[in-house]
Amino acid sequence: MYLPEHYEFFCHVKINSGHRALEQIPFELDVLNARKPFVISRKGDSERGLIDVIIDAFKDSEVAIGIFDGVPPDPDLKLIRELFNIYRDRGYDAIIAVGGGPVADTAKVLNIAVSGKPDDIEEYAGEDQIKRPLKPLIIVPTLSGTGYEMSKHVFFGGRAYVSHFLMPNLAVIDPRMTITEDAVSIASTTLVALAHAVEAYTGATKNPLADAYAYSAIQLIMEHLVKVLRDQQYGSGRLALSNAHAMAGCAFSNVASGIAHELGKAMGEVCHMPPGLCMGMLLPHVLEKQMSEGSHNIADLLLPLAGFDAYASMTDNLRARRAVDILYDLLKDLSAVSGGAVSRRWKNAQISEDTLQGIAQRAVVNEVISDADGYVKILREATERR
Amino acid sequence: MDMPGYYEFCCRVKIISGHDALEKIPDTLAQLNAGRPMIVTDKGVVGAGLIDTVVDAISNGVNIRVIADDVPPDSDLRIVNSLARLYREKGCDSIIAIGGGSVMDTAKGINIIVSEKAENLMLFSGANALKRALRPMIAIPTTAGTGSEVTLVAVIKDHEKHLKMAFVSYFLLPDASIVDSRMTLTLPPAITAATGMDALSHAVEAYTCLAKNPLSDAHALAAIRLISDNLLKVTVNPGDRKGRLGMASAATLAGIAFGNSMVGMVHTLGHSVGSVCGVPHGACMAILLPYGLEYNMHKNGNLTAELLLPIAGAEVYAATPKEERAQSVIDLIRRMNQELYEATGGRHARFFRESLDRKGKEMVPKEKLPDIAETALRDGSIFYNPEDLDYDDFLMVLEAAWEGKPLNTFLIRRG
Repeated sequence: MYLPEHYEFFCHVKINSGHRALEQIPFELDVLNARKPFVISRKGDSERGLIDVIIDAFKDSEVAIGIFDGVPPDPDLKLIRELFNIYRDRGYDAIIAVGGGPVADTAKVLNIAVSGKPDDIEEYAGEDQIKRPLKPLIIVPTLSGTGYEMSKHVFFGGRAYVSHFLMPNLAVIDPRMTITEDAVSIASTTLVALAHAVEAYTGATKNPLADAYAYSAIQLIMEHLVKVLRDQQYGSGRLALSNAHAMAGCAFSNVASGIAHELGKAMGEVCHMPPGLCMGMLLPHVLEKQMSEGSHNIADLLLPLAGFDAYASMTDNLRARRAVDILYDLLKDLSAVSGGAVSRRWKNAQISEDTLQGIAQRAVVNEVISDADGYVKILREATERR
Repeated sequence: MDMPGYYEFCCRVKIISGHDALEKIPDTLAQLNAGRPMIVTDKGVVGAGLIDTVVDAISNGVNIRVIADDVPPDSDLRIVNSLARLYREKGCDSIIAIGGGSVMDTAKGINIIVSEKAENLMLFSGANALKRALRPMIAIPTTAGTGSEVTLVAVIKDHEKHLKMAFVSYFLLPDASIVDSRMTLTLPPAITAATGMDALSHAVEAYTCLAKNPLSDAHALAAIRLISDNLLKVTVNPGDRKGRLGMASAATLAGIAFGNSMVGMVHTLGHSVGSVCGVPHGACMAILLPYGLEYNMHKNGNLTAELLLPIAGAEVYAATPKEERAQSVIDLIRRMNQELYEATGGRHARFFRESLDRKGKEMVPKEKLPDIAETALRDGSIFYNPEDLDYDDFLMVLEAAWEGKPLNTFLIRRG
């Protein structure tokens, strides 16, 4: 088994998952020495009934909660200042973010503000600029999140903030909160998580602890994603996917980000596509390139992808090929079970040769990729095969 | 796997692992806003020269205020109180614990007193009595086994009142755990074998008992794979640094697994043999592990069967018919004990009849078995075992484990 000569791992997030997990929050707040949490969610969550579930979960506790359910899709520092004022004036002492994406981003940046001064936020941009633990942060994920919300990263107002202190203290994964997304959205967010987990598991900076999170995430996604898209009422599958997202976020925080992540993110921005659909589409092509370059870690990926029996039934030199093929097959299955909705999004994207060059350049600027030509080739293959 | 209806998982210890991990301590302490640590350890660790290694690695940049090396084999309230006083007198701001389970427990106890300015440690016993972060603590395990560098529990004895106090809180997790291959290089073969089997029992019970979850499973599988690859190697060749690092990582992974999933009857009985007869914990685990799997086989044989992959590798797994895999796992664990017995010149006991103290005296006389079974009935860890056990069941398992004979499966009552 692969063991690096040196590695470090840190995951601050406690996971509470399952039946009535939300009802545990008052107890957990007490352990965090907080009693007055500020709940924030995106616009529309009240109409979707999610906020009622949260209110209900606090009914039998002594904890009084405040609610802001108006986070827009593109929050900015002005919103942070408004929320800061509310938080300060009402005397809140913890933040609960309902959902991923912009809500979690807002919560993380708000946490920087309420743990310091609101005018200093941008001083904490960059790598490891936050030196002290922040206020208690709890994230209640919905399937609109990708697991990125559990990570040490946040990108907000054009600035990247990276610090282990940005990770939430607690992820509360409750089946009641996973019910509102459509098939394309679930496929997209889960493919982000899959790309993060697979690239953590196969990348050069892997280590046994990050592997454990990645392994669980991959296994749960492979077992449940297609089934959930086929049957949206499949509650334990949705719970499993939400768990997988959180685990992938924890793994992602402890490894260098991968090629499919960087290229997929750039492609999503350039082509106005959900980033997960781009990462998912690129992932097997990226692995195929790495396989041809002699990466040893892809063979082992077959174990979480396909399970014990499939893994043991073939020799090591066949495993990597099989692993990549399984990921191609997954994309086909996702298209099929979504009634073509997923593949339509791929096919409708306008991707010219110039666009491909632009995407690769954008990824090169992010300093993760040096071989722009090689990656244009990956993008070309992936878009031709879509 | 099936999702558990409800589970929790948490390991917020920063893990720093490598052949030169100790050198990261000054930076780690600085990030925790500390730099005047007290070192808590025991005479064995000092005698093995490990304190010198740590001091050499960190003295540039860290102002070690005091080295307290008088932790007894069983952590004890008196030593906790006296070291807490020493911590204050010397103006320390953090703790570095270097050693095995007792040292870790003692350090956690000291940390409660100095952080909470407590007069009476007892006030903080039980679950979740702590409400805020303690002083920075760094754990450096010196046996690849207990996993207490990543667990949220401390057990401290009050010898005057004959009480055993348990403390359970996420605030008892050390801030960082330093897994450095140098710390186990001098561990004698018999202790290497026993502590390695302790780690294996953590991982195997985490995977096969009732409170498992996807993350504890993944940690357990990785631990088992590393132990199968490395335990015999380092027992035969103690200077194998790569193997030592593998075992140290395995112990940490196994500690995280069982800390988040609980354990079962192997630990129930192991605690009891330990408390009645004084047999070291790891030695008890090694002997009892195959019996626990055998006893529970009709309930969790499917899970035990899966462990054939990390224990024996893909080829053996594929070549073994599905219905024989669980028995193969049990046979292979017995074979590991046999190989460790041979590699240690007979010092690694395969069954309790063979357990001897330093003077060569039998540690578990057969007439003590009823006492042990009686003690086991009162141990909480049995709650997570797949099959129930009463006094007669415990005694039956103990008698087989004493003799060194497999269980007679016809005598196992199926609940």
